Parts: sequence; C-alpha cells; structure tokens
Amino acid sequence: MSAENQELTERLELIETMIAEGRRSTTRWAWTIVLWGVAFYVAIAWSSGFLGGPIWGQHYMAWPVTMIGTWLLTWGLATRMRQSAKAPMTTVGRAIMSIWTAMGISMFALLLPLGLSGRADQQVCVAAVVTLLGMANAASGILLKWKAQIACAVVWWVAGSASLFGSVTQSTIAFLAAIFFCQIVFGIYAMICESREQRRQGAANA
Amino acid sequence: MPEMPELNPVIHGKLRLALLSLLSGVDEAEFTWLREKTGSTDGNLGAQLMKLEEAGYVAMKKRFVLRKPQTLYRMTEKGRVALTEYVSALKELLGNAVISG
Repeated sequence: MSAENQELTERLELIETMIAEGRRSTTRWAWTIVLWGVAFYVAIAWSSGFLGGPIWGQHYMAWPVTMIGTWLLTWGLATRMRQSAKAPMTTVGRAIMSIWTAMGISMFALLLPLGLSGRADQQVCVAAVVTLLGMANAASGILLKWKAQIACAVVWWVAGSASLFGSVTQSTIAFLAAIFFCQIVFGIYAMICESREQRRQGAANA
Repeated sequence: MPEMPELNPVIHGKLRLALLSLLSGVDEAEFTWLREKTGSTDGNLGAQLMKLEEAGYVAMKKRFVLRKPQTLYRMTEKGRVALTEYVSALKELLGNAVISG
C-alpha cells in the first residue's frame, strides 16, 4: 500500500473510531429504575392503608401524588445531572428517553381518566401498567441489545397476564414481585454495569 | 480517465476530522469532553473548532451551569453534508487505488 493510500485508510479508521467513541458516552440513568421501583412500593403501601397519619390517610391520592412527585423528582435530578455531566446526549440516548417519556405519558393518559371516571378495576389497572412497562423495557432492551432488560419485559408481561386470571391478592403479589425483580434487582444490576463501564472509560482515557 | 474527487481541506486535518466525527454521533458536546476524547491541548482544540465554526460546520453556544461556564458545540447540517461528502470521496479514492493497484 502506498503512503498516500495508507494515510487515506488512517483517515477512514479515525472517523470510525471517533464515531464509536462518541456513541459509547453514557450518562448515569439506572438510578431512575430503582427510584421508580421504590415509588411503586410507596404508592401501593399508601393506597393499601399501610402508611398511617393524616396525610397518608387520603388513599385515593396515593397513586397520582406519588407518580407526579416521582416524575418531578426524576426530571429535576436528571436535568441537573445532564447539565453538570460532561458526557453528551447521544442518538441512542435520545431514542431511549423518548420511549420512556412516551410510556409515562401513555400511563398518565390512561390511568388518570380511569381513576377519575370511577371505572378503574384494580386488576385491569395493574395489567395495563405492567404491560406498558413491559413495552418500554422491551423497546429499550432491543435497542441496546440488552438481554437482561428484554427478560424484564417478559416478567412484566407475564405479571400482567397473571394479574387478570388470579384474585386481587394474587394480582397484587404478581405486581410486587415484578417490581422487585424488574425495578429493584434490575436497577441495582444496571447501576453496577454503569459503574464498571465508567471505570473502564476512565481507565481508557487516562 | 475518470475525474478524481477532491478532499475537503477544512475537514482533512486530523483533529478537525476527529472533532466532526465525534460531533456526528451526539446532540451537542462540551469543550472539555472534546478535549478528553481527542487528547488535544486547549489552544489547538480552540483554534481547530474556530476553523470549523468559520466554515459553518459547527455551531457554538455558551451557558452557565451551577455558576460555571460551559462551551457547547454541535454539528450543523452543512457540517453533516460536508462530512458525508468527505467520506464518499475518501472511499472513492481508496476504491480507485485498489482498482489501479
């Protein structure tokens, strides 16, 4: 290969390396999975009357207040973290964010009118929530080629179907179990993966 | 004999090419992130980014986050077209080299 061709090949390799480097940049987001898992548990405990006190006694407020509060907290913290972090938003990052935003809006658009109209059946609501969560996990998992997240989607869908066939208690147990595996366990696992990736990137850039 | 494509001299510089390639995969990037990824010095990086900005290939904006200044760069549509054309020309040149070689 001539020197000129060698240089042209190096230019092409440089482009490929830099594009891949840019796409590998990550911001920390796994904490949101755990946060929402905890929020679901709080909402369930509040609506079931496990939390006492004058405020916690308003059971009908449990889901709207917890969900809107958690959404505001997620939005505030994520905005602050993204602004202070050096890693830029990638195309894949934007795609994943759009999936979860659309899922969240769909959930509010479905559950709020269901609750206000008085047509909310607990088992149907659980099935709707977990099916939407399954959809968002599946879409993210397919995009990231992440088998663990696709497995979470399957767990959500199975819990959704199970909640319609069992009793109210069984439906609640299925929901609690799915939250534990798909939000708490998977969220902690995702946080560990993020830490490893950031350490690896730090070592590579050192 | 077919006419050989010309390589855009603004993009052909190694650092400028690396910067445009990095910016092609992200929405916008901070100056310090670009410096970290390219391993360049502040002065050289600033000068090369200014050349890209003058050519209209990147756009710059400044903002304050937590009272600290941040300089952000993003690739413009003109820059994206220029990089695409550059890669096509590069591949064509290498293709011709393989055929003639």
